[in-house]
Amino acid sequence: MNRIIILIPLIILLTICIFSLIYLLSDKDPNKPPSALLNKNVPVFESSSLYNDKEIIKTINIKNKKTLINFFASWCSPCKIEHPLFFEIREKYPDLYLLGFNHKDLASAAKKYLKDDGNPYDFVGVDSDGLIALEFGVFGLPESYLINEDGKIIYKFMGPITKDVLKNEIEPLL
Amino acid sequence: MKLSHFFRILRTIILFFICFTFKTYAVENIDERVKNLTLELRCMTCQNQSIYDSDAEFSNDIKKIVKLKFQEGKSEHDIKKFLVERYGEYILFRPLMNYNNIFLWVFPFILLIIGLFFIIIKTKGKKA
Repeated sequence: MNRIIILIPLIILLTICIFSLIYLLSDKDPNKPPSALLNKNVPVFESSSLYNDKEIIKTINIKNKKTLINFFASWCSPCKIEHPLFFEIREKYPDLYLLGFNHKDLASAAKKYLKDDGNPYDFVGVDSDGLIALEFGVFGLPESYLINEDGKIIYKFMGPITKDVLKNEIEPLL
Repeated sequence: MKLSHFFRILRTIILFFICFTFKTYAVENIDERVKNLTLELRCMTCQNQSIYDSDAEFSNDIKKIVKLKFQEGKSEHDIKKFLVERYGEYILFRPLMNYNNIFLWVFPFILLIIGLFFIIIKTKGKKA
């Protein structure tokens, strides 16, 4: 009987340790840090157009629109990989608003990039100082965010979007 | 030169010196606060490096925003809250003391109590 009493704390401890371990290891991929902004309202932003300083886009302008926000730059090689996919998205989902943010880039270089590779975006906003990216919690380029009609971030993808990602993760949300 | 003129000049010099000292102190103080806070922040794009120790683009951006926020008069708590809202608690080396992390903070004490309980029973058993 005494032995059993002695063993009880050990059993409790072991159970706690096992549950903690399961909790710590479940759904924790070090390559995919959790996004704090998921299911939260899109951050407040204001940006001028890459092509016209006087044309401004604000958070309110994407209200009631399903929007795909993509942070890109002409110096970002992985951005070039995903770039053609945005044309496919645009063709397949004409109602989806494609908003590109040109991050820490030279306007001339960005314009050349979009001229050479094509411009799939409905609006290209300038984020020259990176402050908009900071508001969105961007780690590195490219990064994309899907915003629903209620203005909530429903999906975030870090890195270049691939056909698989588009088919399995983005399209079900569109 | 009249004595009153001399004192006026001396007063101006002293005032200038005081202002300069305060300004330098304020800049140094902000830099020190930036250093202390960024040492507690994780560079999310590096391997086990703090924002302060890292030269990655991400870290430099965070250093810049932390300095800007301090200059705006924001407190350390406000800045941490701002960053956690955007990058998650993962950006902090030291987890916050909140409802989600209560187990993390309390677990060592639970462990201690269980351990003590175990030792007491064992000692009592030996005495008997």
